[in-house]
Amino acid sequence: MSLNWLAVIYYLLVWGAARIRGTYRRWRQPLLRGQEWFFNVHVQPDFYAGAGRKILQEYRMRIFISWAIEAPVTTALFVSGHVQYVSFLILAMAAFIHVFQVFSVDRAERQARQFAVEEAERPVAALALSLKARRLRDYTNFKVELVIVFCLVSAVAVLMRYYFSTSPDHHNLRLVFAAPAFWLYAQIGFLLAKVVVVAWRTPIPQSHMEEHLAAREETRKLYLKACDRARVLLSLAILCWPILLSVPRARLGRASTIWLTAFLMLAVVLGVWQEIRRKQVLAVTLRAQPVKLPDLLGESGALRWPVCYQPSIPMIAPKGMRGYSLNLANQLTQLGAAYVVGLVALFALLRMFH
Amino acid sequence: MFLAINTSDARPIYQQVGDGIKELIARGELKEGTVLPPVRQLAADLGVNLNTIAIAYRELQKEGLITVKHGSGSVVASRTSTERNQDELLRPLRTALTQMVLAGWPESKILKLVMNELNIVGKGNK
Repeated sequence: MSLNWLAVIYYLLVWGAARIRGTYRRWRQPLLRGQEWFFNVHVQPDFYAGAGRKILQEYRMRIFISWAIEAPVTTALFVSGHVQYVSFLILAMAAFIHVFQVFSVDRAERQARQFAVEEAERPVAALALSLKARRLRDYTNFKVELVIVFCLVSAVAVLMRYYFSTSPDHHNLRLVFAAPAFWLYAQIGFLLAKVVVVAWRTPIPQSHMEEHLAAREETRKLYLKACDRARVLLSLAILCWPILLSVPRARLGRASTIWLTAFLMLAVVLGVWQEIRRKQVLAVTLRAQPVKLPDLLGESGALRWPVCYQPSIPMIAPKGMRGYSLNLANQLTQLGAAYVVGLVALFALLRMFH
Repeated sequence: MFLAINTSDARPIYQQVGDGIKELIARGELKEGTVLPPVRQLAADLGVNLNTIAIAYRELQKEGLITVKHGSGSVVASRTSTERNQDELLRPLRTALTQMVLAGWPESKILKLVMNELNIVGKGNK
């Protein structure tokens, strides 16, 4: 079986299953708390018989926008024979779906708030704020980090040895280092995602504090562990790369197939594990009844555009007049932007390698 | 270790943050050497301007309750480092007692209340 065929199978089976599952989950999401709720908005009893039906329908239609974008691109890739770009398409779509979902839910909730139960829309007055310093190292599993460092150091050492063991005329920088460099960069991306998750703001109401605190912390840990699993998977891929390179040319096809199949299986196992854990966390989250938190910033009126530059506001995306506004003055936003620029630079650099 | 913030409280947010931390230090919940969250984290969690928390921390630093160390952030200072004169400390107590007397509370009730509050707040001294 060729590598391209494996990519097609991966796309159709693993990504396809994940997409269908995700669409089903997002479809059900508004009603998870029952008919009295629309996402986190406590709505009036006749909401779904009236205006709520249209709001719900619009939200559900928006779920399929990602399918409408993906279908023609996938078809074009398959028809033109550029199957090798499927993994990049998956990465881009995963990012798009998650960001788009945040905006879609925010829009739907804003529309539903007009039909909310009045007292539920009053912001809570009493907030509790944890005085525990939240640092990345507090959420770091040092055993996992040790495994990652071991994989990286070993792989780099073997790859250097492999590269310099070939005659200078046959040096191929792209073949030896391109894939590991990309995986390493992806791993740094997941580390950046961890920093964002740790920084995720957590004000909680003083009433039912324990439930809210448990919901926030469990959700935070779920995302952090997902990032760590992805980092370990990428590190293992980097570690296996020198082994693949040392396989004789005659056996390379078979070895690549085994390697990709193994990773496919591992990705499936980790995906199922993540889904089980997500369901457990959801049960904890549903125990905490949503409350409206007060706007202490008082600058929502000033944030009119999807992007803003507010050095005195510490949030990545403060809530503005028409939804969230990406704060370009925030350090994490700048790091994210630098990461995207770095990714483009890496691709350009890898194309130049011979 | 939680800080209580109430939007219906007449005090500004920075003062509520400062008073809340002082109370936790007095109760002994925030011990000497405890690292406080960075200004950025606290401001982001609460959803307020950076200056709001920076002012609260500055006030606490001025009163000698916290020290700001480069690299390790704000740390709860030693209780002995708090140097404030008696008049300064008595002033808010006198104001509060005046309010209670003017409200017509009997001396016994005021005394009981003061003792109760001292029991709660003074835990850190025991």
